[in-house]
Amino acid sequence: MRPGLAKGLAVTLRTMMKRSGTRQYPEVAPDLAPRSRGVIALFEENCTVCMLCARECPDWCIYIDSHKETMPAEGSARARSRNVLDRFAIDYSLCMYCGICVEVCPFDALFWSPEFEYAAYDIAELTHERDRLREWMWTVPPPQAHEPNADPPKELR
Amino acid sequence: MTTAEIVFTALGVVAVGAGVLVVTTRQIVHAALWLVVSFGALAGMYLVLTAEFVAWVQVLIYVGAIVVLLLFGIMLTRAPIGPGEGMDSGNRLPALAVAVGTAAVLVTLLVRGFKDARIELEPGGGSADALGEAIFREWVLPFEVLSVLLLAALVGAIVLSKGRARTTAAERGSAGPDAGARGSSPGSKGRER
Amino acid sequence: MRDVVALVLVTVAFLTLPLIIGQAEHKVMAHMQGRLGPMYAGGFHGWAQLVADGVKFAQKEDTVPAAADRRIFLLAPGVALVPYLVVLAVVPVGPGQVAVDLSLGLFFALAVMGIGVIGSIMAGWASANKYSLLGGMRVAAQLVSYELPMVLAAASAAMAAGTLNLSGIAGAWQWWWLVWQAPAAVVFFLAGLAELRRPPFDMPVADSEIIFGPYTEYGGLRFAFFLLAEYAGILVVCSLTTVLFLGGWQGPLLPGFLWTLIKVFLLAFVVIWFRVAFPRLREDQLQRLAWVYLVPIALGQLALTGVVKVVTGA
Repeated sequence: MRPGLAKGLAVTLRTMMKRSGTRQYPEVAPDLAPRSRGVIALFEENCTVCMLCARECPDWCIYIDSHKETMPAEGSARARSRNVLDRFAIDYSLCMYCGICVEVCPFDALFWSPEFEYAAYDIAELTHERDRLREWMWTVPPPQAHEPNADPPKELR
Repeated sequence: MTTAEIVFTALGVVAVGAGVLVVTTRQIVHAALWLVVSFGALAGMYLVLTAEFVAWVQVLIYVGAIVVLLLFGIMLTRAPIGPGEGMDSGNRLPALAVAVGTAAVLVTLLVRGFKDARIELEPGGGSADALGEAIFREWVLPFEVLSVLLLAALVGAIVLSKGRARTTAAERGSAGPDAGARGSSPGSKGRER
Repeated sequence: MRDVVALVLVTVAFLTLPLIIGQAEHKVMAHMQGRLGPMYAGGFHGWAQLVADGVKFAQKEDTVPAAADRRIFLLAPGVALVPYLVVLAVVPVGPGQVAVDLSLGLFFALAVMGIGVIGSIMAGWASANKYSLLGGMRVAAQLVSYELPMVLAAASAAMAAGTLNLSGIAGAWQWWWLVWQAPAAVVFFLAGLAELRRPPFDMPVADSEIIFGPYTEYGGLRFAFFLLAEYAGILVVCSLTTVLFLGGWQGPLLPGFLWTLIKVFLLAFVVIWFRVAFPRLREDQLQRLAWVYLVPIALGQLALTGVVKVVTGA
C-alpha cells in the first residue's frame, strides 16, 4: 500500500473534525475587508461637474448632465457662473468596480461603500440615479485608522 | 397435478418461449436479454426440483457473467439499435432441423430411459452439502477430468492471445523505430505508478 | 404473519436506510471538504434534502431519446434497483432475525447482485448515446473483473464458517477472524465497491470524460431509481461485509440488530470517506488492481483458510 492513500484519508478526516469555514450568508452577514468595493456613493455638495470621473471611466458607465447658472456679482462687471448638477448616474450593469472615478475625483465627491445587496430584476434598475447614489453616502464607513507606525497623513504635514 | 408441477411447467414454457425469442428476434441485444429470461426460468426450474445450489450458480455464472460477457462483446461490434442486418442466417432450415433432431433424440432418450419413473424430491437434496459430497466422493474422476478440460481451454486462450501479441509486436517493430518503445510504455507506466 | 412483518420491515429499511446513507454522504463529504452541505431543506441541517430531491425528480418529465431502444431503456432502472431489494431480504440483522432464511443465502446474494449490473449495461446500450455505450462497456468490463475476487473472498468466509447460510456465517464468527480473514474482508469490500461503481472505481460514470456513463440520457424518476440503486447497493455491500467478516450482530451490551446497524453505517462511512479521499482509478489501473492484486490475494486467503481449517480439524 502506498503512504499517499493513508495520507489522503488522514487529511479528509482531520478536515471533517474541524469547523467548516462556511458562513450562512443571508442569516450571517459576511465580514467584509476594509475598503471593500461594494457600491460608489456620491456626495453631491462636493461635485463641481468637472467631468473627470466620466471621462476616466474605462467603460463609460457614468452619466453627467449639468447646466451653467450665472448670478450677478455685486461690484463686478461680469456675472459669476457656476456649474449645477442636473443628473449624475452610474450604470452598475457596466461598472467594473475599478474605482478610477473615486481616485480621480479632485474634490472627494465619490466614495466606496461596502454595501453590495442591490441586485435587481431589471437591468435598467441597475442604473443608480443621483438620489440613490446619495443614499449610499450614508453607508460609507469612516476612513480606516492608519497603521501604528505609519507616516502621518500627508494632508496633516 | 401438484403445485410444483404446475410451476415447473409454467417455467418450462417461459424458458422455451424465451429461447425461441432469442433465435427469432431481429435485435441482437434483445436476443442476449431474452437469454437472461430463459436462464432465469431455468434457474427457477432447478429451484422447483430442490436443486438450490445449481439454481443460484446458474444465476451467478450464466446471468451474472456469461450474459454480461455477451453484452460486452455485442457492444464492441457495430450492432445497431433496432432490427439489424445479418440477423438471419442462410442456414435457418438446417439449423431448425438440427435443433428439432437433437430435441427429439433427448426426449426419446429420457422417455425410454425413465418411462414414468418418479423420483421423490426431498428438501435439501440439492443443497451444497449433498452436492459437495456427491461430487467429491462419487464423481471425483469426472470432476477432475472436467477441470483438466477447462484448464486446457484456459491455456489455449493464453497461447492464442500471446501468439497474436507477438506477431503484432513484430509488425510494429518493422513499422518504425519508435514503435517498440511505444509498445513497452504501458507496462513501464504501470510500474511508475 | 411473522414473514409479512419481516418483509414489510425489509421494505421499510430498503426505502429509508439508502436515504440515510445518501444524506450522510451529503454531510460527511461536505465537512471533509470544509463545507456545510445542505442546510435549508427541512429546517434542521437540511435533513429533508433527499426528500426534496425526490419531489423534484418526480416532477420532471420522463423523456426517452428518439433513437433509443425504448422498452429496454424504460426497463433498465427497475432491473438495476430490484435485485438489491431482494438481496436485503436474506441479510440477517440479529440471531434468527432475517426475513428469508436461505440455506444458500451467500450464493443467492452474490448471484442476485450480479443481475443488478445488467440494468446499467442495458441502460448503456439502449440510450443510443456514445458516452452511455462507453460507460456500459466499462460497467461490463468492471463487473467481469471484480466478480471473481468478490466470490473468492466470500468463499473464504463461507469456508471458515463451514456454511453458506448468512446467519450461520455471522453466528460462527469469532473475534480472531478479524485477523485471519482480514485480506478476504478487504478484497470483498473493495470488489463490492467496484461492482457498485463507487469512487475510486467510478470509471463507468466518470463525469469529467463520459458525462454520466450509462445514465447520461436518464432524467426524472428513472434517474432517481439509478441513484437509489447506488445507495441501496452501498447498504447491501456494507451489510454483506458486516455479516461475512465483522460478525454481524455479535457485540457486547447492545442488542444484536443495533450492532448490525452500527457496523453497516461504519462501513458506509468508509465508503463515503474513500469517495472523498481518493481520485478515480484509470481503466487500466482498475483492471490491474483486480487481476494483479485482488485475485491473487483472494486465492492466497482461500488457501490459508483451507490450511487453518484442516490443521485445527474443525
